[in-house]
Amino acid sequence: MAAKAAPPEISDAQLIARCLVGDDRHAFAELVKRHQSPVRACLRKLTAGNHALADDLAQDTFVLAWRNLKSFRQEARFSTWLYRIATNCWLAHARKRREELLGDRDDELPEGAADSDVGETSTADHAAGTTMKIDLERAMATLSDAERAAIVQCYHNDLSHEEAAYVLGCPVGTVKTHVLRGKQKLARALAAWAPRPAQ
Amino acid sequence: MTANPHTEATRRDPADWIDGLLLRDSSQAADYIADSGFTARVMEQLPAARALPAWRRPAIIALWLVAAALAAIALPGVAVDVARATYRVFAALPFSLSSLAFAIVALGAATWTAAVFALKRA
Repeated sequence: MAAKAAPPEISDAQLIARCLVGDDRHAFAELVKRHQSPVRACLRKLTAGNHALADDLAQDTFVLAWRNLKSFRQEARFSTWLYRIATNCWLAHARKRREELLGDRDDELPEGAADSDVGETSTADHAAGTTMKIDLERAMATLSDAERAAIVQCYHNDLSHEEAAYVLGCPVGTVKTHVLRGKQKLARALAAWAPRPAQ
Repeated sequence: MTANPHTEATRRDPADWIDGLLLRDSSQAADYIADSGFTARVMEQLPAARALPAWRRPAIIALWLVAAALAAIALPGVAVDVARATYRVFAALPFSLSSLAFAIVALGAATWTAAVFALKRA
């Protein structure tokens, strides 16, 4: 695991200005280097741990960012804007995949099935941390796209509800609802991991 | 990644064990992902750089020359009048107020044109 980069000397806004005014690709490469890690991590979460797909979507995200840099109005942080593009890329991919799978509903997990599947794997003799991570990823995969995206933005990316609403392009109230419903589904799916009440 | 105190209270109920689980998972996943050629792959996928056509500069100069020639043809006396007025000002010859104003306006227009041209080039 590489160490984190030193704090940047040139701000994102200055690099963006260089890209816009001078078509400066070195400046954009610097922006990609700065933001690739959080964007890829976010997409890994959204794709339920599919690293190859996450990296493909991350590449698409940065190419789209380059193409649409002129439309970035600094109303949000550059990283938040990138999360927005990344989430849209993932949603588009998920929609396309769903269309491909249409008619082959066996591939989709019914909501209730998640409980039993996860429950089977969460036995006490597994290495707790790893099993928990796997179970959480599987449980996350059973959430709807909107619920998963809301939880990833609010917890994994540590965005406020307002920022998450900007990323997801929906009202703040909708984000809160998605987070709440998502957490309820996760609580049901991961019931085996719930702390036992004190005797 | 820093905590967001603005929504911390509304978003995270300490009694909710799912909150704790999600927070623990996100802190574990916050490790830096090494670039490993990712940036280079992105840069390869960018559309080709905008190449300015070679004919652009000579074309602009030609357009300016044509515009200047057209102006000279359309207003044949202007150049002579400006030159006379300027000569009178600098030679301290008696001159009328209108010719002085005309010279100032002409000089101003020339200055502004040059400034606009220089700014566009910059």
